[in-house]
Amino acid sequence: MPSLKDLKIRIDSVKSTRKITKAMQMVAAAKLRKAQESAERGRPYAEKMRDIVSNLASSVKNIAGDNKFLGDGGDCKKFLLIVATAERGLCGGFNSSIVKLAKSRIAELTSQNKEVKILTIGKKGREQLNREFESLFIGHVNLSNEKNITIDTARKISMDIISRFEDGEYEVAEIFYNKFASVISQIPSSYRLLPVSFNEKESDASNLSFNFEPDEDEILNEIIPKSIATSIFSVLQENAASEQGSRMAAMDNATRNAGEMIDKLTIDFNRSRQAAITNELIEIISGAEAL
Amino acid sequence: MTNKFELSIISAESKVFEGKVENILVPGMVGDFLVLSNHAPCISSIRPGFLEFSEETSDKQRYFVSGGIIEVINNVVSVLVDSAVAGDKIVKEDITNLISEVNDRLSAADTINKDDLGLRKNDLEEALKQA
Repeated sequence: MPSLKDLKIRIDSVKSTRKITKAMQMVAAAKLRKAQESAERGRPYAEKMRDIVSNLASSVKNIAGDNKFLGDGGDCKKFLLIVATAERGLCGGFNSSIVKLAKSRIAELTSQNKEVKILTIGKKGREQLNREFESLFIGHVNLSNEKNITIDTARKISMDIISRFEDGEYEVAEIFYNKFASVISQIPSSYRLLPVSFNEKESDASNLSFNFEPDEDEILNEIIPKSIATSIFSVLQENAASEQGSRMAAMDNATRNAGEMIDKLTIDFNRSRQAAITNELIEIISGAEAL
Repeated sequence: MTNKFELSIISAESKVFEGKVENILVPGMVGDFLVLSNHAPCISSIRPGFLEFSEETSDKQRYFVSGGIIEVINNVVSVLVDSAVAGDKIVKEDITNLISEVNDRLSAADTINKDDLGLRKNDLEEALKQA
């Protein structure tokens, strides 16, 4: 049985922990709203970019252009996995769920005798992957100095990825991140960034014939790096929103657990205080009876 | 009566402009061109320069853009820009900064990219004169 003083110290320490988790939860809620807003603002651009690329694609198919960025990634040997995680922990399973997905993909690819390379965005993913796959690393992007994600950051990352692609360091690039489904649900997801494949999308403009200026190939060379930057930008934004959502949920849980712990400890504290009082009374009474 | 069409100028971080306009002058990659309503469908890339359009015949609005893509379909014109600054807010230093940035990259670039960057630099210097 811990002494009264020990219990008191523990209750105080859990109380201050609860204060911290509560504060973190509120900060995360505020940041989440901001992240969601900025993701919303970026959406029209991303949607329009997709439209234009698919319009472009339907025209390019007709002339069978052999652009280096296009392809279906069929029998490629060299894979680059881009793992986007957070810079900070204390956000539940956010980071490890992405890393888990990436690890299972690495295992799958290595069992097929493919060459795998890893590029991480965000410190937490690098720490977790570094333990097992240090030799596969070709790069890391540090986001700790970026308070808000800007398109310039995304452009820099995409320029790096594209120049590695052009140098033949890899043939297929896949990106791993957490998709923001709702505040309480984030889905670890991945998709192929490069080469770009055009799935047959029915667009109302597909039967229009466009004038291109300059020609299709040059526009593709210009637009694909842009669309990759946009994809990375929206991935980073989804990730940022997911991170805050996940942290909010984790901290809410922690706050509740701390509350329960305090209740339990308080009951223990009261019981042992009462026990001490009863004990003393018995001693006094039995002492008086002995006289 | 003049015909209007819908114009939206969107940057990656926000919507810059949305509304009905009568015409828009675009600094296309191959040359400047004017879009009026019922323009044929087209997709073109944009070099750094000024976008000029008017909601009414009289007042013109100017935006400096640092490059992008324009799509015209059925009287809906969408301009995706890398970045846009309203004409009256443009500071010459911004363009000068862009030029020096291009200069830096020019010295680091290989020969293939050099042509592109050189062209870009000319466009920027042209825009600086107009500002």
